[in-house]
Amino acid sequence: MARADVAVIGGGLAGLSCGVALAERGASVFVAAKGMAATHWTHGGLDVAAPSGATTAREGVARLAKDRSHPFGRLAPVMPSALDEHVTRLADAGLPYVGGLDTPLKPIPTAIGTLRPAGTLPIGQAALLEPWRGVGLLLVGFRRYRDAWPGLAAGNLRARRWPDGPARIEAIEVELPELAELHNLNALTLARHFDDPTWRRRALRAIADAIPPGAWRLGVPAVLGLADHRAALDEATAAFGAPPFEMVSVPPSVPGLRVYEALRRRLVKAGGRLQWGFPVVEVERDGDRITAIHTEGASRTLRIPADAFVLATGGIAGGGIRGAPDGTLIERVFGLPVAAPPRDAWFGDDPLTAAPLDGAGIATDDELRPADGPRNVRVIGSALSGMRYLDERCGDGVAIASAHRVAAALAGAGASVRQEASA
Amino acid sequence: MTFHDAAAREFPPFSTDACIKCTVCQTVCPVARVTDAFPGPKYVGPQAQRFRGPTHAEAIPDHTVDLCSGCGICTRACPAGVLIAETNNRARAAIVTSRGASIRNRLISDTDLLARLGVPLAPLANLGLRNRLARWMGEKVLGVHRRGPLASFARRTFASTWKRRGGLTALPAGADPARTVAYFHGCAVNGFEPGVGEDAVAVLERNGFTVIVPRQECCGLPFISNGLYDHARRKAQRNLASLAAFARAGVKIVGTSTSCTHALKAEYREMLDLDDADARAVADATWDICELLANLNDRGELDTRFGPMHEALPYHPPCQLKSHGIGTPAMDLFGLVPGLHAVDQDHDCCGAAGTYGLKAERWQIAQDVGAPLFAKVRAAAKAGARQAACDSETCRWQIEQSTGVRTRHPIEILAEAYRRADAPADPRWRRIV
Repeated sequence: MARADVAVIGGGLAGLSCGVALAERGASVFVAAKGMAATHWTHGGLDVAAPSGATTAREGVARLAKDRSHPFGRLAPVMPSALDEHVTRLADAGLPYVGGLDTPLKPIPTAIGTLRPAGTLPIGQAALLEPWRGVGLLLVGFRRYRDAWPGLAAGNLRARRWPDGPARIEAIEVELPELAELHNLNALTLARHFDDPTWRRRALRAIADAIPPGAWRLGVPAVLGLADHRAALDEATAAFGAPPFEMVSVPPSVPGLRVYEALRRRLVKAGGRLQWGFPVVEVERDGDRITAIHTEGASRTLRIPADAFVLATGGIAGGGIRGAPDGTLIERVFGLPVAAPPRDAWFGDDPLTAAPLDGAGIATDDELRPADGPRNVRVIGSALSGMRYLDERCGDGVAIASAHRVAAALAGAGASVRQEASA
Repeated sequence: MTFHDAAAREFPPFSTDACIKCTVCQTVCPVARVTDAFPGPKYVGPQAQRFRGPTHAEAIPDHTVDLCSGCGICTRACPAGVLIAETNNRARAAIVTSRGASIRNRLISDTDLLARLGVPLAPLANLGLRNRLARWMGEKVLGVHRRGPLASFARRTFASTWKRRGGLTALPAGADPARTVAYFHGCAVNGFEPGVGEDAVAVLERNGFTVIVPRQECCGLPFISNGLYDHARRKAQRNLASLAAFARAGVKIVGTSTSCTHALKAEYREMLDLDDADARAVADATWDICELLANLNDRGELDTRFGPMHEALPYHPPCQLKSHGIGTPAMDLFGLVPGLHAVDQDHDCCGAAGTYGLKAERWQIAQDVGAPLFAKVRAAAKAGARQAACDSETCRWQIEQSTGVRTRHPIEILAEAYRRADAPADPRWRRIV
C-alpha cells in the first residue's frame, strides 16, 4: 500500500469529515473503517451542543467549554468555522441545513413523542424551527409500515408540556400505493420508493387526500427519498401546501444515510481512499511514533504506512473502546490509556439516564494528541474523553470540530513536509 | 469480533451474538436493494440464526436465505464484526444437506467437469453456447438462463498447453523459493480464458519469478456458493494436498481469480472447516496476482517500465476482491501505466456472484443489481473507452455480456502495457487521443 500522509481509522461522521477536509486540503488520505458507523442509526441532524439550560448551541458550547477536560474546552474556538465548513459541504451535496449556533434551541418531537432540543436541522426537518402560531401538528404513519408510531407519539406529545407548541396534535394512518404487495417494509424500502417520481406523486396525493380540514404541519416518517431527497421534499411541500418535517425512528436512518453517502462521495472525489470491512489488528511503532497500521485481511494484513494517524473509532457505543471482563477499558487500535470512572461507579441508579461511564474516552492535549501516547496520533469524535453526548447533545459538534481542527493542523504540517522534501 | 476471534473461528454463526440490530447490513445488500423477495442479510442471518444452531440439525433454514448471492458486502459493512454472509452460506448448505440440490446447481458448480466435456468439443460446444435455440432449451430443461453470462470454451486447457510446452509442475532443484511462484489458474483460466494465464505467466517471468503450475482442480467455490459443501471439501482437500508442499517450501501461491484466491485464503477455513496446518500454510502463502505485484512495487522491486496506454479504463473491483482486505491493488498498478486513466466505477456488485446470475430464476435480479454499473461502463465506452477491467471471471463475463464492452483481467492490461514498452515503434499503438 502506497504511503499516505494521513491514515484515518473510522468512517463515521468524525472520520469521514476529517478525511474529506484533509483530502480537500491536498493531503493523501486513507480511511480505514471496520464497518459502517453511527450515521446509519442516528438522526442525521446536527447536535452541536444542547446541555440543559442552554438556549442556543453557542451558549451550550461555551457552557461545556468551561470544563477544561471537556473536548469543547479546547475545541470551542473552532466550532463556528467547523460548522460553517461542514454545512457548506453538505449543502454542496444537496443537503442544506437550517439554523446555526445562534438559533434558539427549540423542542422538536421524536418518534415516540418526547421532545428534544435542536437548533441546526437538515432541510427535511427545517419546518420545526418555524413558530407554530396556532398551526396543528399532524403525525402521519403508513399502513403496514411498523417502524413509525404516530398514534403513540401523538398521545405522548399531548400529555407533555410543550411551550409555544402546536395548537393541537393528531395522528393519521395512510394507505400508500403498492405497499400491500411487499413482504419487507423498512425506512430504506420506503425511501427508495420515494426516489421513484411516478410512485412518489401517487403516494403524496394519497397523504394529501387524508389530511383533515384545518391548518396542519405534517410530521412524516423520515423516508422522503434517498438519492432524490430534495425533489421528494419539494413535491411533498407542494402537495401538502406547507413543508412537512421528517421524523427518524428505528434504524436504518435515511437522513443519516444521506449524510454518509454525501461525505463518502466527496472523499472519493477529492482523491481519498476508503476501505471498509476490516479492523486494525497490528501497529508498527518507532519510538514515540506510529509508522504503519495493519488492517485484517483474508489471510494476511494490509500494511498502511502513513505520517500521521487519526483515531476516529468512536467510544464505547461505537466500538472504539471495549470493556474487558475484569472492568478495564481498552482502546482497540493503539491500546491508548482510557480515562474512565472506576468500575463500581460506571452506572448511576437510573439505567435510563446518562451514566458516568459515558464520559470515558481518550484524554488528549490541546492538539488532540493522546496524553502519554504516540506523538503522531490525534483523537477525534466520541473517542475523546470528558463528554457525555447523550446528556449534552454535543456528539456531532465535537465530531466535526475535532475533525476540522485536526485536518487543519495535519494538512498544514503535511504541506510543509512536502515542501521541505521538494526543496 | 472478527474471524480470528476464538468463538467465531470455532463456528462463524456464533458471531451473530455480537449483532446490535443496527440494520447496517440491510442498507448495503445489493440483492435486497432490487428485490422484495429477499428479506435481507439481517433477517435471514442474525435474526433467523437464533432459531438454528450447530445442534439443531432439524431446524431447516427458511428458503429465502437461498436468494443471498453471497457477495459478502454485509459482512464487511457490519460494525460489530458479525460474519453475516458466512452464516447465511452455512444456512444454505444446511438446506441443501436436508433437501438436496438441483441437477442444474450440481452441473454448473462442477466447472472441472464442464471443461472436461466442453474443451475437447470446443467448436461445437461454443456453437451451442451461442445458439439461441440451444440456450432456450438450456433454460427450459436445465434452468440456465438463455442470456446468462457464459464464456466460450478454450480450444485447449491452460494446463495441457503448459504441459505440452514443458512448463514446470514441480519445484525444480536449486530454485530460490522466494523467487518462485506456484500459479493457481483456477477453472476459468483453464477451460475458458487461457490468455489470462499466459499473460500472468509473462508478467511474473518478466519480474524475475520462476513459474510453476502445480496439479490443481477447481477451488470448489462454485460448490460452496451452491451449498454443496461435501463436493467442495473434496476439491479443497485435493488442492491442499498438492499446494501445501509449495507453501511450506516458501513458494507463493498466486492466482488471477480473486474468487479462487479468496477460497484458498478464507473459505476453506470459514465455510468448509478445513483449518488444519495444511490449510493455514496454503492460506498464508496465497496471493492475488495484483496484490503481489503492488507489494513488489511498494518495495521498489516491480519492473515499472510500462509502455503508454492513452485511454480511459472503467474498472470494477469485484466483491470477492474486496473481501480479501487488500485495498484495490489493480488501481495502484494501473496508476503506473503512462497515460492510462483507470476509473473505479464505484458500484457495489455486478450481480453475477459466480453462478448466481446464470440461474433462470436469478438472472433478472443479477441484472438489476448490476444495472447502474452497466450504465456507467456503457457511458465510459461511449466516451471512448475501448475496454473495461475486473479481477473476477464471472463478473467480467457479466459486465461484457450486459454492456457489450470487452472486459479484461487487470493482468491482461498490464501485460499489454509491457508489450507496448517492448515495441514502442509499433505503429498500431500510435493512437492519438
